[in-house]
Amino acid sequence: MRMIKTDNLIFEYKKHDDEGNVIGAHRAIDEINLDIEEGQFIAILGHNGSGKSTLAKHMNAILVPTGGTMWVDGKNTSEEDNIWDVRQSAGMVFQNPDNQIIGTVVEEDVGFGPENLGVPTEEIWRRVEESLSAVGMIEYRHHSPNKLSGGQKQRVAIAGVVAMRPKCIVLDEPTAMLDPNGRKEVLRTVEELRKREKVTVILITHYMEEVVGADRVIVMDKGHIVMDGTTKEVFSQVETLKKYRLDVPQVTLLAHELKKKGYDIPDAVLTTEELVDALACCEIAGTHTVHKSESQSGVSEVSVDVPKEPIIKLDHVNYIYSPGNAYEKHALKDVSLDIYEGEFIGIIGHTGSGKSTLIQHLNGLIKATDGAIYYRGKNIYGEKYNLRQLRNQVGLVFQYPEHQLFEIDVLTDVCFGPKNQGLSVEECKARAIEALQLVGLPEKYYGRSPFDLSGGQKRRVAIAGVLAMKPKVLVLDEPTAGLDPKGRDEILNQIAHLQKEGNLTVILVSHSMEDIAKYVDRIVVMNKGCKMLEGVPKEVFSHYKELESVGLAAPQVSYIMHALVERGIPVDTQATTISEAVETISQILIK
Amino acid sequence: MIRDITIGQYYPADSKLHRLDPRVKIMCTLFFLISLFCIRNIWGYVVATFFLATVICISKVPFKFIVKGLRPVIMLLMITVIFNLLLTKTGTVVYEIWILRITDEGLRTAGYMTVRLIYLILGSSLMTFTTTPNALTDGIEKLLWPLRKIKLPVHEIAMMMSIALRFIPILLEETDKIMKAQIARGADLESGNIIQKAKAMIPILVPLFVSAFRRATDLAMAMEARCYRGGEGRTKMKPLVYRKKDYIAYAITITYVVFAVLVGR
Repeated sequence: MRMIKTDNLIFEYKKHDDEGNVIGAHRAIDEINLDIEEGQFIAILGHNGSGKSTLAKHMNAILVPTGGTMWVDGKNTSEEDNIWDVRQSAGMVFQNPDNQIIGTVVEEDVGFGPENLGVPTEEIWRRVEESLSAVGMIEYRHHSPNKLSGGQKQRVAIAGVVAMRPKCIVLDEPTAMLDPNGRKEVLRTVEELRKREKVTVILITHYMEEVVGADRVIVMDKGHIVMDGTTKEVFSQVETLKKYRLDVPQVTLLAHELKKKGYDIPDAVLTTEELVDALACCEIAGTHTVHKSESQSGVSEVSVDVPKEPIIKLDHVNYIYSPGNAYEKHALKDVSLDIYEGEFIGIIGHTGSGKSTLIQHLNGLIKATDGAIYYRGKNIYGEKYNLRQLRNQVGLVFQYPEHQLFEIDVLTDVCFGPKNQGLSVEECKARAIEALQLVGLPEKYYGRSPFDLSGGQKRRVAIAGVLAMKPKVLVLDEPTAGLDPKGRDEILNQIAHLQKEGNLTVILVSHSMEDIAKYVDRIVVMNKGCKMLEGVPKEVFSHYKELESVGLAAPQVSYIMHALVERGIPVDTQATTISEAVETISQILIK
Repeated sequence: MIRDITIGQYYPADSKLHRLDPRVKIMCTLFFLISLFCIRNIWGYVVATFFLATVICISKVPFKFIVKGLRPVIMLLMITVIFNLLLTKTGTVVYEIWILRITDEGLRTAGYMTVRLIYLILGSSLMTFTTTPNALTDGIEKLLWPLRKIKLPVHEIAMMMSIALRFIPILLEETDKIMKAQIARGADLESGNIIQKAKAMIPILVPLFVSAFRRATDLAMAMEARCYRGGEGRTKMKPLVYRKKDYIAYAITITYVVFAVLVGR
């Protein structure tokens, strides 16, 4: 049976002028022909703005085609009478967990769909119970959604869809706003659901690892389907995927790089086992058996610091949220930390570990309950200390910084910071232009409204807004959240460039161990408000067992290295990035 | 700071009060408020205190939590007290300074007024503490249902209220975040005169409105995707049905009101 079929599907977003007249159209979907069989797990990939969300909204009749036809479960979505049937057979889960939960109690939210369908009361209760059990959220049924984690909220949203007994579930970037644990949680739920309920699942994402289990992968670009095939078929074309601003899972990328070097590895390796199996066939070069201990001694050399004064020093900082109240929380416990000028520091830790609280201390937004913070040797809690001066020196870019844009055009918005510093109009402008150039935003956008830009561009404008203040230290809270792979790389490369060229001290909070491994000099691991580990990436990631125990992980490459060692291939287990892995493997294995 | 406001919040617990029909709670709160305005002497207040204390005990909401709800209205209470103290001219003079004169009558009215206001707030916040916002809107919807005849969009009003209640904490959190982000960009929110302060709010209000609209669009889409099409043909997961305990609650409250009014006349 066909679940979804489209015939030359076209959709255009109309542009309106101030009077509401149509002045142009943007074709988001351009003649798509698609056939999706019932019971399959389909993944749709594409960069931000490739048209994948627009396509998803057609499957639920939220959007109706401008041209062509779409059938869901045999029903034409353009026909008014079919709308409610279509919406019932293809349930939809959206990106933002907060903006799709209607009920103020979990179970009431799950009941919302069946209520709308006119299901009798007893049946609603049965369905609510069933679907909450199916997503493993039954013990939270009486909770308020506001108190749940992102992953839990998305599971509630999935339960809300399941309770409507759909034949197909469309998930539109359900994990984009979640941390790695939340992401795993949601994917596991989807997987179990698929096995038990035999529903068709359409997953839209730009996290490549999530796609590995799919029956079929569809890649979209500029409103077209540009690739379509099994996971292996699609992931074997690494270069083509990169062209579409996407990437492949780390294992696949490593296999691809090794293959380029001349190793005999099959196309599109998707799992660690496959790669290890392929490499196990290669011959080991005899002289390198002591490699591991060698490199370990090398690490301790790196971690010796040049004794100099830290730019920021945290001295036994404690912070307690709303003390003496039901919500009291000891968010930071005795954290001491030295940050040196020009360093690139990564802060990792799962949600609620105190990372965000920690970085808000660095520019005095939050005042420590106990302990002291020194900026260039001066106590920032000192009586005469000018906190506004400090904020000019320590720039803080919050998560989703584009949500703070407010001016009529990009340039004026970036000028906001310098203007607050009391600079002249010309100087503000010069600073703003410089900052916008640093983040790589083309000049033609300077006069546009920030709200008209794409997600990635908005993010750059927001970062420029902080850079224009010429800070000495730049603190970024997950600057790549929600961006597509290419966008993530671009932002991080620019930040790394600034750090090197501009002698900027950068503190990066990230959930992506791969990014951390690739860019930072030193890692601080936070757990339950305490500083758990601190050191160079190799050192920290060698404690991967400990990291796992607190809900973190080492980069995927580390796991591959460990798996290779277990199979008797003595590679350097401290390799954390693709290039390091390629290096150590090529030293040890003969092609 | 903003998180400290407890007024209008729901306190999850499993008490007899939590399980009552929301209509009962709304109506009984109303009765209680009316009774407060009918009481004119100390004995009436003793009865009211006894009733309120018992209900608070049954509700299982910690007393500290309830009292916190009074914090935002302290200013209002102070003003009431001062006005009553100074503007009551009848009765014997207790204390006199310059043109200000405090009489025993004034003291009494100020005292009663304070107690009345505090009980008013405690009574009504007890209702919101023990009733989920959804149940509350359900109750209002059902109570207002007859008004549909005069073309009042009862279901829509109830839906709007319930959505507003769900988004209050989210938007508060968001305001906090935006404020911090703009302070980090050097915004000065504290100094300056009223006009400068109002101007300084623009960088906070614009993003907040933009975000509220974005959330509204998202939510509307999510509701439509789940087949929401207004109140017609909708069933209820938790339909409101009066049970024995609800009738008992009505009976107790009405008995109290009659008693309090008789005693407090």
